[in-house]
Amino acid sequence: MGVLFTMDTTKLIKDAKARFSHNSAKAYLKEKYKSKLVIAEQGGLWNADAQTIGFLNSFSDETLVVIDTFDNPVKVDRTQLLESLTKTYNNVMTEWNSEWKELERKR
Amino acid sequence: MERIRKKTVNTRGAILFAFNSSKYNYADMAVYTARRIKSFLDLPTTLVTDVDSLKTISADINVFDSIIEVEPDLSNIKEQTSWINKGRYQAYELSPYEETLLIDVDYLVNSDTLLKTFDLSDTFCCHSNTHMLMHPEAAQEKMGYSYETLWATVIMFKKSERAKQIFDTLQMVQDNYEHYAGIHSFIGGVYRNDYGLTIALKIVNGHTDVPSDYIPWNLVHVGKNTSVYANEVDVQVPTDGNVFDFNTEFTIMFDHWKKSKVRKEYMLIKDMDFHVMNKDLFVEIMNG
Repeated sequence: MGVLFTMDTTKLIKDAKARFSHNSAKAYLKEKYKSKLVIAEQGGLWNADAQTIGFLNSFSDETLVVIDTFDNPVKVDRTQLLESLTKTYNNVMTEWNSEWKELERKR
Repeated sequence: MERIRKKTVNTRGAILFAFNSSKYNYADMAVYTARRIKSFLDLPTTLVTDVDSLKTISADINVFDSIIEVEPDLSNIKEQTSWINKGRYQAYELSPYEETLLIDVDYLVNSDTLLKTFDLSDTFCCHSNTHMLMHPEAAQEKMGYSYETLWATVIMFKKSERAKQIFDTLQMVQDNYEHYAGIHSFIGGVYRNDYGLTIALKIVNGHTDVPSDYIPWNLVHVGKNTSVYANEVDVQVPTDGNVFDFNTEFTIMFDHWKKSKVRKEYMLIKDMDFHVMNKDLFVEIMNG
């Protein structure tokens, strides 16, 4: 804190003749967004992923018992959970897509 | 007997353990981490330390909600010097909070992700899996020939009978560490909190897994042969003020060894928490 200079990382990369690791960067993005897709709601813990959203969408019942990520059968308000998961999915995936596109430009 | 400097009653907070070694000023690291906790998680932080480490803090100690002085346990010897990492089991009794994040001081908070851990369990959770930056295929660490290691780097616990039982068991494991080293076939001598926690949690759970004890994303490490550098400096507002605009963008560089030759590889990360295994790198980030 309070020091007036910082490591010039661009120069560091250039001097070290370092190669950009696309695969590691892609894995890091997956790791970063994995945690953002997890939400707790209605007494369960959920992954806002395509599988869970697709599963909830395939029913028309008002309430449904769904196995959460901790393997607990949780009775949920299907529409409400679907809405939350879809919203989280859209927000997170939009951010992920944006960072991934930035990454692709480095190729 | 511990001495508590100041104490406020909060529902949620973080607790950091910091005892200086001959090589590193962990207390200063705790100040830096507490500032990041305040900035990204908006939580108060309690510091558990010893009187000698407390004296060395060069920054403003008001960043801490409470400071608890304890007698350091000097019995853990690593590289011919005391490495004071025993006594982590005291976190349960010492935490002034109903819901606590127990975080290692070399964990770099860069986001509000850890707030989610409070929703994961009514009692306790920790990381069971890791992700090595620049080495995503790295195998999970095993404790000798026994269990895969659980990680004490970040623990969330709530005041409850079960959490108390876990920390009581952690104390019992620490007190009998050599015995458990023999059972699980790992090298004893230097006490590791990760191993202590792994054994304690397995005992409490009857040697089974309780999924809700595990944080459902990985603990991100900057590990072996890997360096991390801050892309920008942290900004203090005003220059001697209490508000910080922390850098969250880092360059990660990896030494890829092949046929006795090293090839450097790198990537950039942002807004992601990570644990820095190499303390020198953490100190470099901390000092700008």
